[in-house]
Amino acid sequence: MKRFFELVRVAIAGLTARKVRTLLILLGPILGVGAIVAAIGINESSKGYLKSQLQELGTDLIVANAQDSLGGFGQTPRIPEDAIGRVSRLPDVTSVTGTYQISNVVTLPFDDAEDYYKAFPVPVLATGLNLPETMEVPMVSGRFINQFDYDHSARAAVIGRDLADEYGYMRGEQRTISLNGIDYGVVGVLDWVLLEPSMDSAVFIAFSTAEKDWEIENQDPTRLYVRAPTNTKLVAEEIPTVVSLGGPDGARTSVPTDLLNAESQVDESLNTLTKLMGGLALIVGGVGIANVMSISVIQRSSEIGIRRALGHTRTTIAMQFLFEALVVGVLGGIFGALAGAGVVWFTSWSRDYVMILSLPSLIGWSLVSVAVAVASGLYPSMKAARLEPLETLRLG
Amino acid sequence: MVESLLSLESVSRIYGTDVEVHALHQVSLDIFSGDFMSIVGPSGSGKSTMLGLLGLLDVPTKGNVKVKGVDATSMNDFQRSRLRGDAIGFVFQQFHLIPHLSALGNVETALLYRGLSPKTRKKKAAESLDKLGLGGREDHRPVQLSGGEQQRVAIARAIVTDPLVVLADEPTGALDSENAENIMKVFADLKSPERAVCLVTHDMQIADATERKISMKDGEIVQDLIQGDKK
Repeated sequence: MKRFFELVRVAIAGLTARKVRTLLILLGPILGVGAIVAAIGINESSKGYLKSQLQELGTDLIVANAQDSLGGFGQTPRIPEDAIGRVSRLPDVTSVTGTYQISNVVTLPFDDAEDYYKAFPVPVLATGLNLPETMEVPMVSGRFINQFDYDHSARAAVIGRDLADEYGYMRGEQRTISLNGIDYGVVGVLDWVLLEPSMDSAVFIAFSTAEKDWEIENQDPTRLYVRAPTNTKLVAEEIPTVVSLGGPDGARTSVPTDLLNAESQVDESLNTLTKLMGGLALIVGGVGIANVMSISVIQRSSEIGIRRALGHTRTTIAMQFLFEALVVGVLGGIFGALAGAGVVWFTSWSRDYVMILSLPSLIGWSLVSVAVAVASGLYPSMKAARLEPLETLRLG
Repeated sequence: MVESLLSLESVSRIYGTDVEVHALHQVSLDIFSGDFMSIVGPSGSGKSTMLGLLGLLDVPTKGNVKVKGVDATSMNDFQRSRLRGDAIGFVFQQFHLIPHLSALGNVETALLYRGLSPKTRKKKAAESLDKLGLGGREDHRPVQLSGGEQQRVAIARAIVTDPLVVLADEPTGALDSENAENIMKVFADLKSPERAVCLVTHDMQIADATERKISMKDGEIVQDLIQGDKK
C-alpha cells in the first residue's frame, strides 16, 4: 500500500511539474467523457420532461375526427350529433364533447384591430357544454358556456387563456368581443389545454348560437373529444364503428399522448451514435496521451536513468509512467463527468427539464476514461522501462 | 577489518554483435572498505564501462561482478536494481538532479519504494543535506542552486542510503576550480572504515588527490598505485 501511494505521489509530482502539457493531455479524456455524459444526460432529461408532462396530461384522451368514408367532395365531413350519445354510452367512456370549427369569422377585441386579425384569424369553436370536464381543464375566470346559453342561443363566449392575454382581458371584466361585427359577451376564460394548444387562443360558443348566427346547418360536430380512463386503446378502436354504424359517416381516432409517449422513449439509436462519437473522442484523447507521453519519456530519459541508478527497478519505472496515465485517466474521467453533468444541469435549467443523470453511467464512462488512459500509457511506460541507464546518463 | 566491498573477477565487456568492440578485457579489481580511490585514464580507456559494471548498471560479457562476495552477474534486473540501490551511491558530472523536485525531493527519491514512511524519508533526506552543509536549502529547486550546491545535493542523494561504495563520474568536471576543490574535500570526508569512495576521472590532479589510483588504458588496468594518505 505504501508503494502504491509512493507511486501516486511520484506520478502527481511528474504531472504537476509540467502543467500545460498535463492540461493538454487531460483535455482528451475530459472532452470525450464530457461529451458522452452531456449528450446522454440531455437526451434522457428531455425525455424525462416529456414523461413528466405525460403524467400530468393523462393518457386517456381520444380525439375522433370526422372522415367521410365515401370521400365526398366540397363538404366538410361531420360526425352525426347522435353519435355523441352512442359514444358516451360505451363502457369505459366517462365524458364526450363535440366541437365544430366555424370558418370565415373575424374575431376582434375592438374594431381598430381588424386588419391584424383578418390576417391572423382566431379560431371559433362551437362546442358541447362539458368541454372543460372532458379536457380536464379548469376555468381561470368566470364560467363555461352553460345550458342556459344553449337554450337561448345566447351570444356568450368563452376565450382561451392566451387569447385573454392577447386581448388584455382582466379577470371578472365585463367585456364583449366582436365576431364578424356581432358582439358576444365574454363569460369566462379557459385555462391552458396542454393536449390541444390551439384551444388556448380560440373562442368557444354554444352549438345553438353557432347554428343561429353562423349558418352551420346542424349541430353535427367535426371532432369528438372522448375521455376513457380504462381500455383507452380499445375504445379508440371502437369509436369509428359506433360513429358510422355502417353508414357513410366515419371517424378516425387518435390518442394525442401516444405521440408524446413515443417521443418520450429514449432514442437508443441516437444514444448509440452519441456513445460512438464520445468513444471516438476518447480514443483520439488516448492517442494524444500515448503521443505526448512517448515524447515525455524521451525528454525525461535522464530522470529515468537516475532513478534506475538509484535502485528503481524496470517495473517501478513502468509503473511510475503507468500511474501518470492512470492519474490522467482518473482526473479526466472526474472532470469530464463533472463538465458533462454541468452541461446537462445548465440545459435542464434553461429548458425547464427535470435533470436526469444516471450515476452508473457517470461512473462507467469515467472508468472507460481510466481504461483508455492506462491502455494509452502502456506503450510509453514499457518504452521508459526498457531505457538503459548507461545510455541515458551519458557517463564520462 | 578491511574487506572487499566490490570486486571484478576477470571481467570482459564486449559491445556490438556484428562489429565487436572490446571495451574491457579480463579486468580484475577489488574495492576495499575504507578505500578513497580513483580510476583514471584517457578517453576510450574503458573507465566508463568499468563504472557501469561496478555500479551494477551493466553486466559483463564474461567474468563476475561481486558485491561483498555475492555474485551480481547472475541476478535478474529486479534483484540487481535492489542491490544497486542498497550498495551503490552515484554522483555524476552533470549532477542529474530531477529538475521539478526540490533539493529534499531529489534526495528523497533515493529512499523511495523501501517501505519507509514519508516522515522518515524526509528526516533522513534532511539530515543528509545537512551533512553536506545544505541545511535550509531543502525547498530550493536545482535551478535555484549553484553548480557546487547542485553537486552537493547529488552527493547527499548518493549517501542517504548509506551505500557501501560511492561511485563518482567526473564529479568536478562541471565545476570551477574553487568548487571542485571543495567537492574533493567532501569526497575525502565521505570515506569511512565501512565505505569506499571511487572517483572516475581523466583529470590527473583529481586522481592524485586520492589514496589509490587505478590507471587504465585500452580496456585494461595498467597500474594500481597506493599513494598514501592524501587527506
